[in-house]
Amino acid sequence: MDSIAPFGGFGLGLRRAHYPDFLDGEVEVDFVEVISENYMVDGGKPLRVLEEVRAKHPVALHGVSMSIGSAGGLDPAYLDRLARLAERIDPLWVSDHLCWTRTSAHNSHDLLPLPLTHEALDVACANVGRAQDHLGRAMLIENPSSYLTFPQDELTEWEFISEMARRTGCYLLLDVNNIYVSARNHGFSADDYLAGLPLDRVRQIHLAGHTPGEIIIDTHDREVCGDVWALYAKAMAMLPVPVATMIERDDNIPPLADLLLELGEARAIAAGASKSIAA
Amino acid sequence: MTGSDNLGVLQKAFMAQVLDEDAPLPDGWGNRHAAGMGVYRNNYRSALVEALRSTYERTEKWVGEAAFRRAAAHHLIANPPTSWTLDDAGAGFDRTCAELFANDPEVAELVWLEWAMLEVFTAPDVTPLDLPGFTQATGGFAEDDWANLRLGFIPGSASRELAHDLRAIWQALGEEELVHPEFALESARGCLVWREGERPTFVMVEAEEVRAFQAMQRGTNYGDVCMMIADEGDPADAAMRAGAMLGRWLREGLIAAIH
Repeated sequence: MDSIAPFGGFGLGLRRAHYPDFLDGEVEVDFVEVISENYMVDGGKPLRVLEEVRAKHPVALHGVSMSIGSAGGLDPAYLDRLARLAERIDPLWVSDHLCWTRTSAHNSHDLLPLPLTHEALDVACANVGRAQDHLGRAMLIENPSSYLTFPQDELTEWEFISEMARRTGCYLLLDVNNIYVSARNHGFSADDYLAGLPLDRVRQIHLAGHTPGEIIIDTHDREVCGDVWALYAKAMAMLPVPVATMIERDDNIPPLADLLLELGEARAIAAGASKSIAA
Repeated sequence: MTGSDNLGVLQKAFMAQVLDEDAPLPDGWGNRHAAGMGVYRNNYRSALVEALRSTYERTEKWVGEAAFRRAAAHHLIANPPTSWTLDDAGAGFDRTCAELFANDPEVAELVWLEWAMLEVFTAPDVTPLDLPGFTQATGGFAEDDWANLRLGFIPGSASRELAHDLRAIWQALGEEELVHPEFALESARGCLVWREGERPTFVMVEAEEVRAFQAMQRGTNYGDVCMMIADEGDPADAAMRAGAMLGRWLREGLIAAIH
């Protein structure tokens, strides 16, 4: 499996509200991330828009429905469609989440949590391996936000992810907001989490806003909060290779200019982190 | 039981809880797990209801938000999603609405139209046959060739017979403030849905044209469709009516190929 070269750009998710900005103007981003499933279609406007955006920017394909944690395995029709899209778009990389979304009977369309057991690790590794073989490329797997843990858990999430990366050769999409959310919900240390990961495998970072409460929820509907920026700064200072940073916004989507301002903050923090490494 | 069997059992129990809060909690779960499960269940429900609201924007405006949300929730309980694509959550919503809005049967027809428009939006890209292309392809046709003519239509094109004036309803829903129009039809008509370039579109037609279109979609040849039209209406002008239909399908860009 080919390796994925480090890419140190700053990007945004392509959302329908911003199609005109990306199609008619020059947007100051180094890459664009799209939700794969929105473009795993036969034809029509979505694919045309994506191809026009791709002509201007590198594109990362980010999926939400592969369901790498499903005990029943992967959906071959899904993999076929994703492979066709990847062939058409020639993406920077293809990513999905450490989660499951479906059983043989139903699909939740939500990122459901895996028990952190050796059984689940075997299943996830087999599925990641199969997906990578089908796509002919290594994938990035993202750490999820979660709202419960299982009595059966045998590993920490970072141990689970580290072992999955070691066994499958996959890379990591580090969602800093998700680390923060899960750390607060389950009472573990975000610093331990970062320290426990194979950071040389990280190729992309997600930043997003969340909804505070007794259980913090990963809602992507507001600006990145101060605590998450601080954790991002820590992560950037620890990473041994350049990584791509992207801000996710899926609800209450503001004008593109607002998101570019927020992305500017990420650029500034990353620049500060690289200076501190150099010093 | 193997490891993945254990995981499979757990995932089935978890999914049952996501779909239905009255399903039993998996073994060993307490209040903390129940609270977390509540977040997943809420995410599931809100994502799917929002998906239906997005697909059926005009239907929601027609029936009102509260009635639409009730119908969407009912549909999702009766038809939990099975597909990887969220768009498919809206499949069959016309049947759900036919039951729930039995006294307002135009609702199910409007739902059908919005679904057909969604389906054709991402259908495969095919260049329709234009008039010069059609003329060239049929230039040397003898009478038998016309009788045996079969048509391939633009992918995703759809049709159905209607009891209500969806054009009037659709136009009224396009206005900022909805004023319910007269939408009763004196007799059944029909609707053809296709895509002009990237834009889904539809036209109201006579019911016999829908039946002819559907027959040709199924592979019936033009000669048999002419016979069908003659049987249904005045045989004297059946050939003219069939020719007018063919002309419309060609002009509107519904025909992709001739066989």
